[in-house]
Amino acid sequence: MRRRSALAAVTTLAGTAIAGVVSRPGGNDRLLTAAQEGSDDITTETTQLLPDTVHETTLYELTASDPGPTVMVFGGIHGDERNGIEAAHDATEWAPDAGQLVVVPETDRVAVENDERGGIDGDLNRHFPAGEEPTSDLARGIWDAVERYDPDVVLDLHRSLGIYGFHREYVGQTLFHSADAHGRAIADALTADAVPWYLPFHRFTPAESTAGGPLLFQKAAAELDATAYLFETTAFLLDHATMTEQSRLVTAHVLAAHGVLEYDTGIGVAGTGEPDQESETEPDGGTSA
Amino acid sequence: MSGASPETEPGRESELSAGPAGWLEIGRRALTSPATVATTILLIVPFALGWFRTELFSPLALPGYVIYSVGTAIGNAIAPRFEFWVYWVPFLGGCYGIAVSVGTGYEWVRARRAAGEDGTETDRSPDPPGESDD
Repeated sequence: MRRRSALAAVTTLAGTAIAGVVSRPGGNDRLLTAAQEGSDDITTETTQLLPDTVHETTLYELTASDPGPTVMVFGGIHGDERNGIEAAHDATEWAPDAGQLVVVPETDRVAVENDERGGIDGDLNRHFPAGEEPTSDLARGIWDAVERYDPDVVLDLHRSLGIYGFHREYVGQTLFHSADAHGRAIADALTADAVPWYLPFHRFTPAESTAGGPLLFQKAAAELDATAYLFETTAFLLDHATMTEQSRLVTAHVLAAHGVLEYDTGIGVAGTGEPDQESETEPDGGTSA
Repeated sequence: MSGASPETEPGRESELSAGPAGWLEIGRRALTSPATVATTILLIVPFALGWFRTELFSPLALPGYVIYSVGTAIGNAIAPRFEFWVYWVPFLGGCYGIAVSVGTGYEWVRARRAAGEDGTETDRSPDPPGESDD
């Protein structure tokens, strides 16, 4: 009887584990493949920002033959958030179907090389006050490039240590966005793609951000009228590979939602086209954004 | 699951039902009860696997995930600057505490059942000679 009970218990546990593995979301390989394989007819150019300075960093410009919006993607504004740097580097090899994809994978190169949050002048993502000049040489160089491209969409990739609304100090698993963005739809799509049901606290939250803060995406929304996103994954219980995959996915979803990728995710130009209506949430000014 | 069967310890059941001393005995047994060990393993091991590699999270990790996450949320609200790995210490303690509660319930049920079986055996005892209706 005891042996039978033990066998039943082991079978139940194994069955539960297998069911979980089988029901785990498998990412969105089709979307990422679409991003990698897009149009054959693209031109790629690289430019050095802040050349001959300690901040010199590479900007990648991928232009499709079909007209479309310009999307700028930033990684490495915080040098120790490797997921965004890696995902942005991957995006430099993608092929947009329309418009232009502009990527700066290592925005604060000194911070990236030192594997630290801030570079020479501290936290770069506090150097972009709306309505004023950026407050450091690096920020001015980056902002010059942003103004030059005048992007329709800006995406800034980050990583927090905890979870927004759960750990008071942190802002992870959140997609901050400007009022005209598809924040909720993209956050829901990310949850469906990348968060298994048995990690419920890791579901993505959309949060509309005010445009008056000192963050790059806020300045782009306020001064250039860009649709802006700031993505935060979390290091809380997620390993590097998972955080990087989530960063890749959000990049692909933003590109698809705004028509740079011809892939129907049901969001934005491929879907309803209606931006979110959300309650306004103050973006984090502290630990991670 | 194995462990000392109440049947092998004559007189134990009456001891267990004899007020505080009986509860102390149940509590002592619960510390190492098979139910305690199994619950501890169930709460910690699947979660620890996911901690090492996110891919290894499974539905079995959900109880440990909830306990650990809620613990960090409370801890972060009280003492914000602790790194999250610190919470492994209270997590392990908390899991064992929960497991001991489960083990206590298990041992209590076993003791009750054993006491019930004793009573049943008494009822079934053959009638004394000479008092048969036959």
